[in-house]
Amino acid sequence: MADDDASPPQAGEPISEQEALRRLRQSEDSSQQYYGAWWLGRMRSQHPEAVPLLQQALRRRRPRDSGAGVEENAVARNAARSLGKLAPAAQAAIPDLLDTLQDGDDGLREAAARALGQLGASEAIEALCERLASGPAVAGVQQANSHRLMEPCEALLEALGDIGVNEPRVLAVVKPFLGHESPLIRSAAARTLLQLSGEARWGELLVDLLDHPQLQVRHAALMDLGAAGWRPGFKAIAATLAENSLKLIALRGLVEQGSGDPGDEALLAYMDTLL
Amino acid sequence: MSQVSLVAARIAALQQAGSALALQQATQELASCADASAAPVLVEVLGFNNPGAAVAAVKGLISLGPAAVEALLQLDPVNYGARAWAVRALAGIGDVRGLELLLDALGSDVAASVRRAAAKGLGQLQLDELPPDQQQAVRRQCLGALLAATSDGEWVVRYAVAVGLELLAAGLPAAGPERQLAQQGLLTLQEAAADNAPVVQRRANLALSRLELQ
Repeated sequence: MADDDASPPQAGEPISEQEALRRLRQSEDSSQQYYGAWWLGRMRSQHPEAVPLLQQALRRRRPRDSGAGVEENAVARNAARSLGKLAPAAQAAIPDLLDTLQDGDDGLREAAARALGQLGASEAIEALCERLASGPAVAGVQQANSHRLMEPCEALLEALGDIGVNEPRVLAVVKPFLGHESPLIRSAAARTLLQLSGEARWGELLVDLLDHPQLQVRHAALMDLGAAGWRPGFKAIAATLAENSLKLIALRGLVEQGSGDPGDEALLAYMDTLL
Repeated sequence: MSQVSLVAARIAALQQAGSALALQQATQELASCADASAAPVLVEVLGFNNPGAAVAAVKGLISLGPAAVEALLQLDPVNYGARAWAVRALAGIGDVRGLELLLDALGSDVAASVRRAAAKGLGQLQLDELPPDQQQAVRRQCLGALLAATSDGEWVVRYAVAVGLELLAAGLPAAGPERQLAQQGLLTLQEAAADNAPVVQRRANLALSRLELQ
């Protein structure tokens, strides 16, 4: 479940596209670069300079230094996210994103993986699989003194689903994560398998998670059913204990990504009641 | 127990609720009395920052209908959270006394969930009891606000605007200029554009085809 553009990273007056480009281009003030990088993605900038400047910001990421401030790579992270949002215009940035997938900073790897998924970059499949190959017991184990996992598993799994190449080697890497201790990771794995294979059993697994006692897990399962557009999950989505806003996003996914029963008109009629 | 003492007992229970869950249950029980004297207390619950209880209160207020409107309009405008819930309740009730609040919410509320509720609400105001010239004036205001919101930045608000325009247009004379304006708004929402979600396009398309058949 990716939710990284819900709100601007800092308050401020609305700025123009030219101003966003200027802020990203300068290098004295990194908080201005941070905002400029975010702005270009959020506003889906089509300016010819946007992608090259974001690529440059990505290349300026710094080696990980555990003693340094936590926001060391914040500009590069926003640049990666924005490149994902500018898909398909950001195809040229795929090699930079592939490099970033090998960075020591797992937050950056996470942002790069999501962007590669949004770009549908099939050239990333091998690297994504390699990162996950050690399975839940290594890649999926918690870092010391942090709630984060050794690898950004959720983002890596979801990227494989978004790229959508259904090959045995991909399925073999994803399946072990159905046994991960975190229901969020299990949800991401089921979503990916559903997107890749369309098999109902993975959809049913997500429907089971809609009953999970934790709201956060129900949210993730809603988003995952929406991303996969699994229309047989319609009734269960409607009955989930969650805000209407999230159900509307999930149902939008069923309308846009899915097909078959129930048809568009039934889905739209139910969305109308949730407004 | 008489109805009066039943409502009083449930109000007392609500005021003594000691936990979030207890408040939610007490609100549900009070709402189920379907008694207009509960309205001010249900409105008060909207400001308690308890989403479960607020959902139950909104449901109860909508089922009370016009009898709940006075209490909703007396809400403290500074209590932002409560106001958002009140917009949803007024949108669901469809009483014309909520017009100003709905217009204001669609035009300027920061939360997309509030704007979307207001958009649908502006399409379904009950105007039958107003004199015809006033009906016309209110519909024009609703139409203006909905047309302005066709360029809202959030897909879910534009979706709700499509729903609101369909509801509003269905009550307008087929050959009149207002109906044509509503249909133009729907045509804008139906346009395929990179920043217009396909679900919005499909909903606007459905609205247009239903209006054609009417």
